[in-house]
Amino acid sequence: MYISRHMTSEPITVSPAMLLPEARTLLNEYHFRHLPVVNEQGELVGMLTDRDLRSAYPSSVITDSERRLIYERVENTAVSEIMSTRCVSLDIDSTLDDALHLFDRDQLGALPVLDNNVVVGIFSIRDLTSAYKHLFGVGEKGAVLIGIEDDGSPTIMTRLVTLLEKEEIPFTRVLRTYNEKGGDVIYLRVNTFKIAAVLDLLLDAGFSLKQDWK
Amino acid sequence: MSPLTIISDPQYLQHDTGGDDHPETPDRLHVIAEELEKASFSSDLAHSTPRPAERKWLLTTHSESWLFRFEEAVLSGRTYIDHTDNQICYDSYEIATLAAGAGLSAIDRIENGSAQNVFCLVRPPGHHSEKSVPFGFCFFNNTVIAARYWQQKYGVKRVLIFDFDAHHGNGIQSAFEEEAGSFYISIHEHPSFSYPGTGYGDENGIGEGKGSILNIPLRPGADDSEVQELLLETVRPRLEAWRPDAIIVAAGFDAHREDDMSGLQYSTELYYILGKEIRRWTARFTEGKHLSILEGGYELSVLGESVAAYCKGLLGK
Repeated sequence: MYISRHMTSEPITVSPAMLLPEARTLLNEYHFRHLPVVNEQGELVGMLTDRDLRSAYPSSVITDSERRLIYERVENTAVSEIMSTRCVSLDIDSTLDDALHLFDRDQLGALPVLDNNVVVGIFSIRDLTSAYKHLFGVGEKGAVLIGIEDDGSPTIMTRLVTLLEKEEIPFTRVLRTYNEKGGDVIYLRVNTFKIAAVLDLLLDAGFSLKQDWK
Repeated sequence: MSPLTIISDPQYLQHDTGGDDHPETPDRLHVIAEELEKASFSSDLAHSTPRPAERKWLLTTHSESWLFRFEEAVLSGRTYIDHTDNQICYDSYEIATLAAGAGLSAIDRIENGSAQNVFCLVRPPGHHSEKSVPFGFCFFNNTVIAARYWQQKYGVKRVLIFDFDAHHGNGIQSAFEEEAGSFYISIHEHPSFSYPGTGYGDENGIGEGKGSILNIPLRPGADDSEVQELLLETVRPRLEAWRPDAIIVAAGFDAHREDDMSGLQYSTELYYILGKEIRRWTARFTEGKHLSILEGGYELSVLGESVAAYCKGLLGK
């Protein structure tokens, strides 16, 4: 559940004094959108995004003479002048949930990961989706997701898991969801192709299947 | 020449999956044979037997280590490999080799002019098996091995595998997704709900293989009308653009509404329509020739009639 397992370690960073053309080359070359800016101790001093750079470069609708002037200025501008200094960051012991909250709240694309303020990684929203994909078993070969109606009984999870273990049905995830009224659906990821047998077993044990199409 | 040749073998009945609640049983082939025997078109069927696939052809699709592991498992008396789904008996390796060989025998007949359309009624099925791993009752990927044989022995370039089994053929996708000379089209229940959890619509091939995969996942409950519309609106245009030189069908019948191995709700009639559709493709692209190989289909009360309906469609009856 820690982001450190899913982040990019030792990311490419830039110094505040680097000039914008060099930073732009880095972003283009590596297809990044976010560059942590660090001081000589490796501590975070800002973030530079491709959006910051695009704003600094001249617009395509201005005249050639204006564009030339802006280019000249941009070529001599340091990263420190356009970077964001009020940075949201994650800590090396942050969890996936911490990251989800921040991405959801601030609509960001990637966050620097710090250890005592030193940049040790970068964690993108893509890393987050990939981590949750892994966590929920999406795309894992050999699995089926079954929906079971939650009757709100306090022992339904115990009964379900006990039944599966007793019948030696391999399963990897059990997820209970709630709606405003209480129990909603329990999602069960079983790792077997003998789906009909599993469904029969659940029905015989008194569970109701969530099959909205029927 | 009979318009449709059925290739099968009594040895397929000997692949013992252990009884109990295992759905992949020898009775599947019994109910199909009974239904074809009493079908109105039975005189249009020729019957033939397969040869075992030579090791060389198995190795076009599977790793040598998997062949050794599979053979060793059966000979040492184990009852399953990797997962209890994949039940085996002492003869399973040989039988799986004979199942893989059915496609090769069929292609020889098609190529030498002694058959035109062939349906191989085999077990164990194949489309879930990967290069080195069995999955979902499958050990050798029968359709992919057939595709390789067609490509390498007869120089056929553009091979289509069309898969209408309720479940995505992960093994076929793995085999084809990085190459340009083959095309896999699969209509299956959406992987969020269904085994094997693969076959998302956005997976369309990798690198050189971009465009070699067309996954069409259906929500649970999808029925005949949705499939018919997809055939017309999605599959036909893609085939017109790609123009296959050979057509192999991974023919699974477990999307039938009575078959509880999936939530799809096809009727028996849809298999007739699928047969007719494939007949149409063969007329258009492959001079009336094609090869079908049985995959899933587990509800014995409707499996026979579904296969018969499909054959009737293939025959254009």
